[in-house]
Parts: sequence; structure tokens; C-alpha cells
Amino acid sequence: MMDDNKLDELLADAQRSHRAPPVAPLDAIWSRVEAEVFAVQPHRNRPSWRVFAGAIAATLVFGVLIGRASAARDISLPFATKTAATPAQLASTSAAAPYQRTMQEFLGSTAVLIAALPANGRPGTNDTKLTEQARALLGTARLLLDSPVGKDQRTKDLLEDLELVLAQVARLQSQRPGEALTMINEALEERDVVPRIRTAVAGLSISDY
Amino acid sequence: MLRAAIATSPDGAGDERALIALAAVGDRAASRALYDRHAARVHRLAYRVCGDPDLAEDLTQEVFVKVFRSLGQFRGESAFSTWVHRIAVTVSLNAMRKVKRLREREADLDEAHQHEFEPDAIDPDLRARLAAAIEALPDGVRIALVMHAIEGYTHAEIGQALGIAEGTSKAKVFDARARLKKSLGDFLEERS
Repeated sequence: MMDDNKLDELLADAQRSHRAPPVAPLDAIWSRVEAEVFAVQPHRNRPSWRVFAGAIAATLVFGVLIGRASAARDISLPFATKTAATPAQLASTSAAAPYQRTMQEFLGSTAVLIAALPANGRPGTNDTKLTEQARALLGTARLLLDSPVGKDQRTKDLLEDLELVLAQVARLQSQRPGEALTMINEALEERDVVPRIRTAVAGLSISDY
Repeated sequence: MLRAAIATSPDGAGDERALIALAAVGDRAASRALYDRHAARVHRLAYRVCGDPDLAEDLTQEVFVKVFRSLGQFRGESAFSTWVHRIAVTVSLNAMRKVKRLREREADLDEAHQHEFEPDAIDPDLRARLAAAIEALPDGVRIALVMHAIEGYTHAEIGQALGIAEGTSKAKVFDARARLKKSLGDFLEERS
């Protein structure tokens, strides 16, 4: 029987000698991947709301990262460089700030969930996870409706529509999933939910930064 | 602007979630960025498993087609790289089971590699015997050994990629080493 040291020596040698990979033609492989994945795109008259939902989700991820970076920077700035605010404004801003952050996270998570909904009314493999996430988000939606951010009429309308959508997603398992998904997709389209999320996100971003 | 931010991100790790979100909705630039990050390692693994340059390219292509088509199913419960490598291992092993003729080609390839690497401290016969002994290992044991001892994956990564416990990965590598030591020991005894 060979000893461990000798085997280790052989295996170390094998890292370069045993089927040493050739230089991969990564650009050529990418062209083939691209041709296969992106070639057949169904013609659409208008961009899918899924595109917007995904973009919103991505923007929020970046927004949060940039926000954190800005917050970290702000700590080191002298107070004199900041715009002066009245005590009433400060009190109002500080009271609403946690809810705005929660609202921002809620919209981001909801956009991700909407983007992940199976297309064409076909049930997906992750429906259980979607329903669990929808239930959690549903609770947040109801809390936000009762919070200071829910006092703004447009925000309230959006939260109520999202509450309905989330409730439908949360019940996916107990309904006929195909039918329910078609209804959810139609509701999203008819109520312009995703563009309204986008507008709300833009509003929050302006007030935050 | 988002894409510009992604492109100029200094660490390249924190923005992967944004890339995944964009790629999931069909953004080509984001998909390409993800591909650029992971393709070389996937290709290396595919080649180590199959030993055929053309097939390794095909497998890499197939892996990324699957990745981008099923990106909506990626829930972020494991690292994206782990998820990609799990697909790579599955695709590579399935391909190897289908392509019977590769076994014949492998002998030629191994012989070719012996010529590529000039003899040093390692006896060329022993090197060839090691290559043959690795090929003779059962699939699950072989891939664990190749990933750990040759490609440098951790047992945790192998466990996640193969869908097995970390301890099982260690056991497979231990098993592989025992088989190799026996096979190579027999060879050295025969020669002496």
C-alpha cells in the first residue's frame, strides 16, 4: 500500500498533469449561450411588468447599498454642512424614517416576489416558498397601512392593492394554482401595480437621499 | 446608471444580487457579467470531469443555458457560485453517463498529457497509473476527489454541489484515497 505522503505528492502533480484544462474560449461559448437563451424572445407590444419588477428589485438593492454608504459618510461630516431644519421637521422626519425604510424594504421584497411569480398561469416549483413570503409580506403591508406612511392617500391605495395581491399569492396552495396565477397576473396588469411601485420607490428615494 | 455602478463596483461581490435580479428579467449585460465571473471555473470542472475539450465547451454552454433559464428559481439560500456548480456537476455527470465512447478517448488524452508535461520527480508510469486509477473510481467518489484534491474545492462546497453532507464528502475523498493507495501500491509491487 502506498503511503499518504507519496499519494499527496502524486495528487499535487495531478493538479497540472491530470487533464490540465486548456484555455477556455469563453467569448465563443458566451455567443452560443446568448444565442440559445436570448434568441427566441416573444414579441411584445409593451415591456412586461416582470421586467419593471426585476429592475425595481435591483435598483432597491443598490439604493440600500448606496444609502448605507452615504449614511456612513454622513457620520463624519461636520453638522454645520447640513441644511438646517426646524424642530417640527426634525421630529416629523425622525418619526417617519423607520416606517419609510420598512416601506422601502417592503416594496423591494414585493417586487422580487412579483418578478418570481410563474408566468402564463403555470404553477412553479417554488409556490410554497412564494406563499410563505407572501404571508410574511401581507403582515408588513397591514402594519404599514396603520403607520404614518399609510396616511398618504396614494401610498394607502398602493398598499391596499398590494395587500390584495399578496393575499391571493398567500392562498395559492389552497386554490387551483393555474387559475389563481392568471387572476393575479391580470390584477397586476389592470391595476398598474408595478409602475406604481416604481413611482413609490422613486418618491422614497428622493425623500431619503 | 445601475449597470455603470455594477461595472465599477470595487469588490465585485456585493453587487451580485443586483446582477442576478437583472439577469432574471433577461438583462444581457448582467447575464454576461455573471457568466464572466463563473464560466472559467465551470469550464475547468467540466474539463476535469470529461477530459474532452469540445465536450467541456458544450457542457459549459449547457450549464449557463440552464443557469439563465432557471434563474427565477434561485432563492439565494446558498451562494450563487454554489448553485452554479451544483448545476455544473449534474450536467457533467449526466453527460458522462450518456457518452460511452469517452472512455476510449480518455486513454489517448491521458497519453497526450504525459507528453505535454516533462518528466520531473514523478515517474511517468506512476502518473499514468494514477490517471487510470482515478478514472476507475465510481462517479460520486471520483468527482469528490477531483473537486477536492485537484480543483481545490472545500468539503462544504462539494457537499452543496453534490447535494450531500460535508462529512459524506470527506468520506468519499477518504474512500478515493484508500482505493488509489491500494491500486498504486499494487502497481509499484508488481514493478519491483
